[in-house]
Amino acid sequence: MAGKFWSSSQFQQWILDRQDLLRERHGDLQILSEEEYHKVMIFFANFIQSLGEQLKVKQQVIATATVYFKRFYVRNSFKCVDPLLLAPTCIFLASKVEEFGVISNSRLISTCQAVVKNKYSHVYTAEFPYRINHVLECEFYLLEVMDCCLVLYHAYRPLVQYVADIGQENDLLSTAWKVANDSLRTDVALMYPPHQIAIACLHIACVILQKDYKTWFAELNVDFEKILEITRIILNLYELCKNFDEKKEIPQILQKVPKPKTQPSRPPSQGADGQPPAQPVVQQQQQPQGLQQP
Amino acid sequence: MQKYERLEKIGEGTYGTVFKAKNKETQEIVALKRVRLDDDDEGVPSSALREVCLLKELPHKNIVRLHDVLHSEKKLTLVFEHCDQDLKKYFDSLNGEIDPDVVQSFMFQLLRGLSFCHSNNILHRDLKPQNLLINKNGELKLADFGLARAFGIPVRCYSAEVVTLWYRPPDVLFGAKLYTTSIDMWSAGCIFAELANAGRPLFPGSDVDDQLKRIFKLLGTPTEDTWPNMSKLPEYKAFPIYHPATSFSQVVPKLNPKGRDLLQKLLVCNPQGRLSADEAMLHSYFQDLPAHIGNM
Repeated sequence: MAGKFWSSSQFQQWILDRQDLLRERHGDLQILSEEEYHKVMIFFANFIQSLGEQLKVKQQVIATATVYFKRFYVRNSFKCVDPLLLAPTCIFLASKVEEFGVISNSRLISTCQAVVKNKYSHVYTAEFPYRINHVLECEFYLLEVMDCCLVLYHAYRPLVQYVADIGQENDLLSTAWKVANDSLRTDVALMYPPHQIAIACLHIACVILQKDYKTWFAELNVDFEKILEITRIILNLYELCKNFDEKKEIPQILQKVPKPKTQPSRPPSQGADGQPPAQPVVQQQQQPQGLQQP
Repeated sequence: MQKYERLEKIGEGTYGTVFKAKNKETQEIVALKRVRLDDDDEGVPSSALREVCLLKELPHKNIVRLHDVLHSEKKLTLVFEHCDQDLKKYFDSLNGEIDPDVVQSFMFQLLRGLSFCHSNNILHRDLKPQNLLINKNGELKLADFGLARAFGIPVRCYSAEVVTLWYRPPDVLFGAKLYTTSIDMWSAGCIFAELANAGRPLFPGSDVDDQLKRIFKLLGTPTEDTWPNMSKLPEYKAFPIYHPATSFSQVVPKLNPKGRDLLQKLLVCNPQGRLSADEAMLHSYFQDLPAHIGNM
């Protein structure tokens, strides 16, 4: 949705700083190291990307779903909702909000089953365990946790405008666009306005392509300190990914991730419509221990 | 749901029932819009999501406020500010008489709400008296964004069936798929005339053909000169050439000449010729608008 970022709920309610993030994640960070936490987030961003591509939704939908996913776990521990359930729920909601249309129930579930089986069998040996009623229930919690702030501003739109302003050929845009996609595997979308992220992505793209647009950057009226912070976070991601053996590490990390107490115990029937679950899949929200709300 | 005491049913919205209710702590009266979650595919309905998105992003005095969203098992309840009535009920209470100052005030507020939506790239697309809420202080607010949507650039191919027939512009009636803010400006014009006539609808057509006929009989049938490329619209069909037989002073006898001029500049068949909300607010009809309404 186009509109004004500065009056948006994203700016008003959902730009957080590093301290906020650490405080909110405190419970999970008792169990996982910060690096492991990020690796889980990278893994699920990749998972959402795979789902989105398989469902043939626009990148905008994937980006929105990924940020929803991050927002949810900013406010909740992994033990509230299994990320494997939240990921398709985020795609389902994002597709409606971005006006891409409703993804049919059976298609969503069968795509989850296929993606888990074909691409993530190294992590999930069993069949994708959820049915559509779990997704619909989870959608409610997601809406609530986000306080119904659904409209997101991404870096893509300002990125296109900046590249048009530079008057550059397409390789700059496509490189910067990929960096913007990669940035979804960091927290920058929770911490900085989209135009700053776009500039940082351009900055990195220029370095990759060895292009010099110093004068263009110099004329921008932005806080370069922020741009450098974002750049650093994205470069850290690349550094982290160099030595990240997802296939080997993720199963071990996911072993440690706290889990909801109730999980579907038996595989669902193949159809999208199953019996309602005997127990709710979503745990009542719990305050992580030792955390007092200010 | 304990926070609110349900009082009475107000109506049925696009996607659920609306109740009047009282906040038990603050005694504040609110409108509860219960979102039906049908057992079908959709989960939380897209139309409800759209309304929530827009209202969450758009705090404005001429747009109905969303106070809260309540969740309970399988139910979503939107808590809106309560307005005493909608424009349609207001018309029903008038007995055919309306104060010209009220017409001016309501029209200005309608335009101001639209200007805000349009500057935020949002089309309402379903303006009609039932969607304009009015409170005791004479404030008018746009509501029911169920069919509204944000438009980015480029604008293409929105779903066809969106505006109630009576307030639907000729380009949409001819199947135009490229909607712009002009769609709302036509509807605003129709509502302006209805206001001036104390609730008598301007073009109460019974079907698409009848609707277009009524429009062209009043405004004259457009031609390729007055509306280039009209005949290329997907559902275009030729109509007899009507020449306007009635003047606007007969159509809206109680509206002053400046008001008639504004009305004529909104009711333009060619969408490109219609005034924008911002332009309309600057029209001389509003020159003597009392300051308290301009600042309201």
